[in-house]
Amino acid sequence: MNTLRILRDLLRYNGEFAIGLVLVLIVAAIALCSFFSPYPPMDVYVVPPDIPPSWEHPLGTTSRGQDVFWQLTFAIRNTLLFGIVVAFLSRIISLAVGLISGYKGGWVDRILMSINDTFVVVPLFPILVLFYFIMRDEMTWAMLAIITALLGWAYDARLIRSIAMSLRTREFTRQAVFSGMSTGKIVLQEHLPFVLPIVFSTTMNNINWSIGIEVTLSVLGFTDINTPTIGGMIYWANQHTALVSGIWWWVTFPVLLVIMLFIGLFLLAISMNEYIDPRSRLSRLGGQA
Amino acid sequence: MIAELRAIPSPDELNAPQTSPLLTVDRLKAYYKVKLFGVDREVRAVDDISLAINRNEIYGLAGESSSGKSSLIKTIAGAIRPPLRVVEGSVRFAFKDGERDIYRLSPQELSAIRWSRLSYIMQGSMSVLNPVRRIRHAFEDFALPHVSAKGADFTRLVERHLKRLHLDPAVLQAYPHELSGGMRQRVTIALATVCNPEFIIADEPTTALDVIVQKGVLSMIREIQQEFGSSVLFVTHDMAVHANLTDRLGIMYAGRLVEEGRTRDVFKKPLHPYTAHLISSLPRIGDEAPKKALEGSPPSLADPPPGCRFHPRCPFAIEICRREAPPMVEILPGHRTACHVAQADPARVRTVA
Repeated sequence: MNTLRILRDLLRYNGEFAIGLVLVLIVAAIALCSFFSPYPPMDVYVVPPDIPPSWEHPLGTTSRGQDVFWQLTFAIRNTLLFGIVVAFLSRIISLAVGLISGYKGGWVDRILMSINDTFVVVPLFPILVLFYFIMRDEMTWAMLAIITALLGWAYDARLIRSIAMSLRTREFTRQAVFSGMSTGKIVLQEHLPFVLPIVFSTTMNNINWSIGIEVTLSVLGFTDINTPTIGGMIYWANQHTALVSGIWWWVTFPVLLVIMLFIGLFLLAISMNEYIDPRSRLSRLGGQA
Repeated sequence: MIAELRAIPSPDELNAPQTSPLLTVDRLKAYYKVKLFGVDREVRAVDDISLAINRNEIYGLAGESSSGKSSLIKTIAGAIRPPLRVVEGSVRFAFKDGERDIYRLSPQELSAIRWSRLSYIMQGSMSVLNPVRRIRHAFEDFALPHVSAKGADFTRLVERHLKRLHLDPAVLQAYPHELSGGMRQRVTIALATVCNPEFIIADEPTTALDVIVQKGVLSMIREIQQEFGSSVLFVTHDMAVHANLTDRLGIMYAGRLVEEGRTRDVFKKPLHPYTAHLISSLPRIGDEAPKKALEGSPPSLADPPPGCRFHPRCPFAIEICRREAPPMVEILPGHRTACHVAQADPARVRTVA
């Protein structure tokens, strides 16, 4: 009941949230359509190739004889899921490292941050390509998600650490220490709520970032190209020189959809912040934070 | 202000056999020790302090900024963190269920007495409440582990306590920023006293409040103290607050206790020249003469002057003051001071005022 009311108010007072929600819902609805697809995603030449958008094939068909719309439903589902899995895994790492490092300080901080900084300076893209060349056929979708998550937490861990460092010196932390709360409890109960708005925002950004990584790698063919993803679709379109031969719908619709997802997630990120942080919620009501 | 001093205890009260004091601080030395990049610094924030606080008593601690007040009470509460370290001495509490030496306890034992027996209203207590959590959570986080009541019983306990302190239990649902400064301060005090502690340390709880709110907060502390029969160690540099609230008063200067006695005695007959100056600086109604400032400023605690630490600023300083630190000596009944001059002639110092 309460959650519904919060949603209603967010929709009513927050334009960014409404637009973001609509965009993400459209993308999610398209992803869900994949469960009703008349064609298996891996099969080729199930429909006549190279047909421009028509009533029968609303987004046209590819040169490989696939329906662009139904192919897109699978692609966006996999891409979205990839982003969520990567963001979820990397959030856990960055929260753990950032909060503990910032709160504990001393040698714990120094060790964790030297690891952190290593990950910050390490060039991600060549490493991912390297992984692909080493693993080749074992480089499945899940494996790529885990590797990307392991590489994608460092920036946010540093951000979270800087907040935790400031929180450590606040009176309520001293009060918590005085009352005998354990480190884990202090970090989870007292400090986590402070960083959650930032984590929310970085989650959306991280989903965007990991989708970008996935699309880039797929376009270049450095992933499991048989699993349909947005990048994978563009890869196949390039392989068939779709733009040169005028099959624009093969490239345009995946790109449009992924842009919709990017913008939707971004708008959700910034508007969620406003709800989670009670002070900015107050300023929206016209009060002083 | 002086006129509002509390009544002197009757001679019977004074002569009544004293049970052992609740808190005994014995020759406590706590220094900030920094050894870093070849710099070896030692700041003697608490230097050889002995004091005792009885049951059912409000003990005031006064002194200017950087005189070591906060370091002393952090040490007493066992809430010190490096670089502050206890070098010597002991802090003993005689709680109803047994005596405890704060620096001989395991972390678990220390945690067990906190809140339930020993509570600490921290300095800047406006910010001891987590701004992103509701007040209810502050009670649950800090006090719940220290009481036996759980769940709904705990909520009832907290609500009863708030009502007793004339606070609306509805504040439990509020965020700290939704309360006024005075309300927040009261909630903080309620939070610190919810377990009926025997000993309450209050570190400048009235600083940054306007006088009306101050009065409310002070009467709240007084009420709690009388209702629970707890002892309060009350720290502030505001002498007017001391005059209104405390039973006994200790004056700190440069990390040392320089005078201690019943509040009324200290105000009426200060024995230490520093106290005398402090009290003569207080405004009095009808007194239009300009106040004379004490020359100089408090010494650095990293490099305090030898002998009596007050001697460079003291108008009465004699030869021995430059060489020997004066011991705390009881000069009048229940009235101690650390001053060579006062120990030789108690009447001399009063001429300053």
